[in-house]
Amino acid sequence: MGRAYNTIAFDAAKCDGCGDCMRACARAKTGGEDVARSRIQIAAGSTGFELALCRQCGDPRCVAVCPAGALAKDGQSGIIGWDAGKCVDCLLCTLGCAYAGIALDEATGRVAKCDTCEGSPACVPACPHGALKHHTTARIYNEVGDWEDLFAPGLAGCQGCNTELLMRHTLRRVGPDTVLATPPGCVPGMGSVGYNGMAGTKVPVFHPLLTNTAAMLAGVKRQFNRAGRKVTALAIAGDGGASDAGFQSLSGAAERGEQILFMVVDNEGYMNTGMQRSSATPYGAWTSTTPVGRESKGKTQDAKNLPLLMVNHRCAYVATASTAYMDDLYDKLDRAIVAAETGFAYLHVYSPCTTGWRFPTDQNMEVARKAVETNFVMLWEYTPEQGLHLSRSVDDPLPVTDYLKVMGRFRHLSPEQVQHIQAKVEENRAFVQQISQQSQAPREPSRFAGHGGDYGKGDAPRS
Amino acid sequence: MTMRQTRYLVVGSSHAAIEAVSAIRMHDAEGSLTVATRDRHLPYSPTVLPYVVSGRSSSAQVLLRDAAYFAERNIDYRQGQALVAVRPTEHVAQLDGAAGGELRYEKLLLATGASPIVPPIPGIEKVEYHVLRTLDDAVGLNRAIGTARRAVVLGAGLVGMHAAENLAKAGANVTIVEMADQLCAGYFDRTAATLIEKAFTDHGATIRTGRRVVGLAPSGHGAILTLDNGDSLEADLLLVATGVRPELGYLANSGILADKGILVDDSMQTNVADVWAAGDCAQARSFYSDAKVMNAILPDAAEQGRIAGMAMAGDPGLRRYPGGVPLNTYHFFGRHAISVGNSRQPEHAQVETRFDEKTGRYLRACFLDGRLVCIHGVNEFFDGGVMAQLILRRVDLDPVRERFVAKPMVVGRELMSQLWR
Amino acid sequence: MSTATLERSATKPRYIVCEGNEAAALAVALARPDMVSVYPITPQSSLVEHVAKLVADGRLDADIVDAEGEHSVLSVLQGASLAGGRTYTATCGPGLAFMFEPYFRTSGMRLPIVMTIVTRDGITPQSVWGGHQDAMTVREVGWIQIYCESVQEVLDTTIMAFKIAEHHDVMLPVNICVDGNYLSYGSARVEVPEQAAVDAFMGVKNVNWHAALDPLRPMGVDPLTGGAGGKGPSAFVRYRKGQCQGMQNALRVITEVHEEYARCFGRSYAPLVEQYRMEDAAIALMTIGSMTGAAKDAVDEARQAGTRVGIIKIKTFSPFPIDALVAALGKVEAIGVVDRSVAFRWNCGPMYQETLGALYRLGRHVPAASFIGGLAGADMTVEHFHRVIRDTEALRHGRLSAGPIWLNEND
Repeated sequence: MGRAYNTIAFDAAKCDGCGDCMRACARAKTGGEDVARSRIQIAAGSTGFELALCRQCGDPRCVAVCPAGALAKDGQSGIIGWDAGKCVDCLLCTLGCAYAGIALDEATGRVAKCDTCEGSPACVPACPHGALKHHTTARIYNEVGDWEDLFAPGLAGCQGCNTELLMRHTLRRVGPDTVLATPPGCVPGMGSVGYNGMAGTKVPVFHPLLTNTAAMLAGVKRQFNRAGRKVTALAIAGDGGASDAGFQSLSGAAERGEQILFMVVDNEGYMNTGMQRSSATPYGAWTSTTPVGRESKGKTQDAKNLPLLMVNHRCAYVATASTAYMDDLYDKLDRAIVAAETGFAYLHVYSPCTTGWRFPTDQNMEVARKAVETNFVMLWEYTPEQGLHLSRSVDDPLPVTDYLKVMGRFRHLSPEQVQHIQAKVEENRAFVQQISQQSQAPREPSRFAGHGGDYGKGDAPRS
Repeated sequence: MTMRQTRYLVVGSSHAAIEAVSAIRMHDAEGSLTVATRDRHLPYSPTVLPYVVSGRSSSAQVLLRDAAYFAERNIDYRQGQALVAVRPTEHVAQLDGAAGGELRYEKLLLATGASPIVPPIPGIEKVEYHVLRTLDDAVGLNRAIGTARRAVVLGAGLVGMHAAENLAKAGANVTIVEMADQLCAGYFDRTAATLIEKAFTDHGATIRTGRRVVGLAPSGHGAILTLDNGDSLEADLLLVATGVRPELGYLANSGILADKGILVDDSMQTNVADVWAAGDCAQARSFYSDAKVMNAILPDAAEQGRIAGMAMAGDPGLRRYPGGVPLNTYHFFGRHAISVGNSRQPEHAQVETRFDEKTGRYLRACFLDGRLVCIHGVNEFFDGGVMAQLILRRVDLDPVRERFVAKPMVVGRELMSQLWR
Repeated sequence: MSTATLERSATKPRYIVCEGNEAAALAVALARPDMVSVYPITPQSSLVEHVAKLVADGRLDADIVDAEGEHSVLSVLQGASLAGGRTYTATCGPGLAFMFEPYFRTSGMRLPIVMTIVTRDGITPQSVWGGHQDAMTVREVGWIQIYCESVQEVLDTTIMAFKIAEHHDVMLPVNICVDGNYLSYGSARVEVPEQAAVDAFMGVKNVNWHAALDPLRPMGVDPLTGGAGGKGPSAFVRYRKGQCQGMQNALRVITEVHEEYARCFGRSYAPLVEQYRMEDAAIALMTIGSMTGAAKDAVDEARQAGTRVGIIKIKTFSPFPIDALVAALGKVEAIGVVDRSVAFRWNCGPMYQETLGALYRLGRHVPAASFIGGLAGADMTVEHFHRVIRDTEALRHGRLSAGPIWLNEND
């Protein structure tokens, strides 16, 4: 299998041309402040700021046109490396590159290009606006791709649903020494437990009641602990089962510190049974039990914030994640797996529902991303030792309308309802930020924030 | 005895050949693949040879692939086996050399490159001279420059100029003789050429443009040259660098059509089935007209090789050849010159130039109907790859022309970001 | 000398005096479950307190899960059972009602969980006292239900319950029904078996051979069956029929286990139906649970007075022991069935209702009357049973009561 590589991404909309990235690069690579020598070049264009930076192409032309064998793509890191000893300074590489990714450094008379600072690019954290990101999702492809997919092929999710993606990723990561509980909802609905005598997974799996997932898993896990066997007790549950009928057993298991990894796939309603309201359904949303009519237009109450409730259980680990940020999700999944060895780990993943939220089936990731970018959904993690920490900045959100307008379930909203939702988003942000600011130790920076990480510290699951 | 067979046969071992090999293996990891080359080395680039001559690089350092590369990809790499004949109807290639013989192929790529042109100067057969096309040539020339006192270089193309610079730096008294009335014609305009010429004369070289050599005779340690104006030059080292052309003797009776080079279409296929050609031996469509031209430059060889390899392997990602655009860089005495696009100025073209005597920065850009035709710079760096895209995409630069000429690098990057990032 | 320990030696069984809840707890410890999950409720509380103390004292090596409610109590045990553990809990009344969702499912998944119901009357009307309404209400859910008469029987039946539940021909959950107040709090002399003897009796534990949640044997437990779509309902029918067959097998297994227990420990109980002084009985009282003691005293007195009366005590209520009951009925000419709960739909006691079904199998008409007594923890006295005997005797002579006879109506 081919490999995927990490990459530095640029969001022109966030760039104000301050040049901090170039200064950081110049310092890191030349020891000076001359931004002309930076390997990342930001230039003011007619409509904004433009970037010239090596893309570490998969099939690099600069390498193909080098007569001296001085450029080569490293198969492991994906970095196109420059060998100063072999280079004859002919500049032909600059003719090969269509992206201005390798250019003359006039101070040395030699070419210079980005080498991503050995996987920890100096420019990215220097950007004060979040316009540069170091995407490290390549590891997901490279590492996860080698793990066994423990769900059977052919799960019958709705078109464009990312829950199947989430399920497959999660179970691959958690590995085969797992007992999986999928309470009633979309997850078993698409066939994960099995149907007509065929099993849906390669790990032991069961279909608990909507109400007793955490309790049943607690019994499973405890029994294996008694037998001296290391087995991960994993739940992949829906928001309804977790925040409504299943909340008691969830709360009880969390309070007892049962060693469970409890993942909630939050699609904000009972989507499997026909898109009815749950306590996780947001204010104003259309559902089949909060319809839009003359007297009322959508749900009239705000959503229950289940992950914050779990923080108040002082679980060993609580985090929110989104399928639009798989990198972050994987970091959190790793920590949740470790935490579940000694206590209750709760991972709340927002998962847009193409069918129930009414948006085109190719827009799932975009909807998920917009939810985060507007602060409608906030990504954070919590441990009792280190408190609550935001996984990404919430200081510069898009207006919530950017999120609301991309789906049909909010189409009917009145300006007052929009205002209510925006106010709720603000309040929620203030609330979470307050908790976050009270938290003691700063969390070690996650890769997601643009720093290097050390993925795979834990044992990889056997495959 | 059964004839040996291979699914792919690639003849040649430089940029076009190795890009083709890479493209074939990208799509077909299994099919049997043979590379045959008349050279006795692993792949290297002719372009790097001046640096072997100067000692900047070495024959061990310039190899573009090692033996393991071929072994790991299950490629049969045969050195010292030149192509002698092709019989396309039988899908048979005949190779010479001890281990040569006949080989049955399914797909054949001719990437046999070019050889130095030796001009028909009376007496040339009686004198010793150097050419520079192979690694062995470069190693021989490298040895010779150490002892050369008076060197003459015939031809002011990039190969000759590189060698002349090396000879000058080594302390030789160097004379460059060029038929055209300027240096580097075909790459740079007269102003640029004058800048280059000045650099050479500043370093003690003598430039004789607009002159032909009409006679050669042996002397004690070398040769005596007679020029068309009657001047006579003595050389203890003579380098013939008057251009290259493909050697296509193997095409005899093959039915494969050739002009100056092997004629190919936009997927590098020749007129006969299952035979492709790429690189310096091929004659392909120009970007600027429908005429098929020789465009013996490295980037084009790589591009053509890639296209040919993809076509041979049936890679559906194949994109047709956009036509050749000349691309050259030239490094001289610590300065650099970049040339992108046709140096010949079309009719009705608008030319913009600027020159700063203090810095020696020179820029010449040529536009037709608002589109960039060519751009040359001396000591003025811009991203040649970006410029080539502006030409190939026929980007209308009228709205930004003034800024573009003032700051080609910055404006080029800006357009790049908007148009194809 | 301790009041609790009358006699103790290394080789002989020891005798203690304890309440029924403690006897149940001691039996649980002897059966060595892996997991006990508990939630307190009157009148079960002292039972789980005793179990907790046994665990705390190291006399029982089990995980004890203080769950947040009965629903989770049983759910934890389902998980543990599927993972291979022997499991136990106890509850009653509202707790059992709250547990109903997983309760129904336990028998369908064929999980041999043992649960004591320290019986309690159904609310509302509000009551914290004994009565069989809780256990009787869930009689049709596929659990085995065995009622006890004495504290000693509570201990012995609890041990046997594990063996019955885990028998591979049965694989069904078992309720040991212990009368709230009368057995739970009533103290009596109890003989406690030796651990080694119980271990030998129990044999090798293997509770998840049929359905497991174990990465070494991955399977989907309880996937959706065909039903109206897919392959049709055949899988569902096969599972359901299997449950019914397991219940029928249980009648045999319960009997065998009681016989084996008698051989090992020297105490025997009629496993399904006990007959008391039935040899020439013209009328029979039918009883269940602890009321039987008072009933026996009343029968003894009635016999002395010349009434040919006997007692048929139902020990195993679910599966309902039709054949054993039919055999016991022999030549009786009238029966008075005494229930400690009601069957709302038939305006009678539930055991009475069940008996009517068995009488159909008898092939002759036997007049029967339904007596309802002991509700809300009311005492069932010898006098109450004399009334039952009188009314049944009258019934034998054709005087049929219109509806059930409420024994505590005026108490």
